[in-house]
Amino acid sequence: MIKTLGRYLKVWWLMSRNSFMGMISQRLGASIFLTGKLLRIGFFLAFIYLLLKGTGTLAGYNLNQTIFFFLTFNLVDIIAQFLFREVYRFRPLIISGSFDLVMTKPISPLFRSLMGGADIYDLITIPPLIVAIYLVGRSLGPSPTHVLFYVLLLINGLALATAFHIAVISMGIITLEIDHTIMIYRDITNLGRFPVDIYKQPFQGILTYLIPVGIMITLPAKALMGLVSPLGVLLSFIVGTAAVLVSIRLWNFALTKYTSASS
Amino acid sequence: MSLKKYISIFKISFAQEFAYRINFIMWRVRNVIQIILLFFLWTTVFSDPSKVIFGYDRTKILTYVFGILVVKAIVLSARAVDVAGEISRGDVSNLLLKPVNFFKYWLTRDLSSKALNFIFSAFEIVILFLILKPEIYLQTNLFLLVGFFLSLIFAILAFFALLMITSFVPFWAPELGWGVQFLVIVIFTDFLSGGLFPLDILPSFIQKFLYLTPFPYLIFFPIQVYLGKITGTVLLGGLLISLFWIFVLWIAMGWIWRRGLLIYRAEGR
Repeated sequence: MIKTLGRYLKVWWLMSRNSFMGMISQRLGASIFLTGKLLRIGFFLAFIYLLLKGTGTLAGYNLNQTIFFFLTFNLVDIIAQFLFREVYRFRPLIISGSFDLVMTKPISPLFRSLMGGADIYDLITIPPLIVAIYLVGRSLGPSPTHVLFYVLLLINGLALATAFHIAVISMGIITLEIDHTIMIYRDITNLGRFPVDIYKQPFQGILTYLIPVGIMITLPAKALMGLVSPLGVLLSFIVGTAAVLVSIRLWNFALTKYTSASS
Repeated sequence: MSLKKYISIFKISFAQEFAYRINFIMWRVRNVIQIILLFFLWTTVFSDPSKVIFGYDRTKILTYVFGILVVKAIVLSARAVDVAGEISRGDVSNLLLKPVNFFKYWLTRDLSSKALNFIFSAFEIVILFLILKPEIYLQTNLFLLVGFFLSLIFAILAFFALLMITSFVPFWAPELGWGVQFLVIVIFTDFLSGGLFPLDILPSFIQKFLYLTPFPYLIFFPIQVYLGKITGTVLLGGLLISLFWIFVLWIAMGWIWRRGLLIYRAEGR
């Protein structure tokens, strides 16, 4: 088990290094793209600041709490993009039949399709984001237990993000449509930029349980604010584990539908 | 004869959008999801219907949110987003050999895309209206409605030139096309034109600066005219500034295009 894990870690490192070198060869284009992403975060933070300056609170949360929800959303979103950037390049493999070459390699095709091209430009943005989360989170005065819950639920949120990405590439094999599916996933998770408390029922229920954006993003932030019980943490983990298991079953089913067309 | 040619391009482009139905429907779904976020955000802020914040009451802010859906469909939907890729791949040569005007061709295709997006956005509004039951402000002043339609036409022309100028970057740097388009068209246009929030929540010095750029006249200005927040001489002044920007951007577009063609080598063909 540990030997296999070590082998996969080595393969991931090699694939990521190749991906990084490829990206660095287009420095200027990627720098403009990175600038755009940072500006988007900056514009949104400015919007939240101005909005809360005018209203005082949003769904009962003050400025720092609202910013903390937004930063947590960005952390989950950016880590998922950093790890799973290869998902965005999956469609050409399927429609050209080149996925055959992935299937014949002695590593899991799921691992290769999900994590075959880490994004260095997302990696760059993660450390400052963690610093910002630390600074804003500290101002909320959490207890050590709440910090532990936050970290655990963040890991659970990333497991849910993994499940979503597996589902997207599985649907990609079945329908040959992936570009818009992944963007719709992004748009749905964008609904977690603000606490799901702002949505009225049945939208709030859908976003909490059916498409668990709430568990993925809102709940970790709420845990740091001391608003989640240990039972809530446990239930979230059950949802996260179930989502990963279901997505892997979907992937296995999708593989049986791969026709190797055009290869 | 010339008009017939462009009517045919319009029809073909319209039919092409239906060739990739799922793509198009998914694109519209994405727009609706963004509106749902804004709708609930502002509904929470204006939970008390009598509350007035940033000069808006609940009815007007929700009309602004729904206005974004329609105005974006009309102004920002464009097929000309493909121009940058066509230049960097050398595919633009195909069009240069045909007896059509490059700009009229893409403007016609843009109008076709806008027509389709507008039809779909109208359906979406009806569906969202039935589900969310928002309070919507209906403008009845004919002068303001004319101003609104004029500002939309000006916004379409300004955005076309802005998109084209951005798309010409690959003449000089083929690998930069997507990055520049993301920065200018996705980030700047969305935020600085009022596609996410009304610009009058910003501090006044930022607003004053923004009004000197073409961005507010793409989304924010037309919706403000519809809401009756901009009237009289201010409305006429805004329309004149829009015209000024159209003039500047179209001159720049033609000039950059001619300069680009001088160094175009159809690489990739």
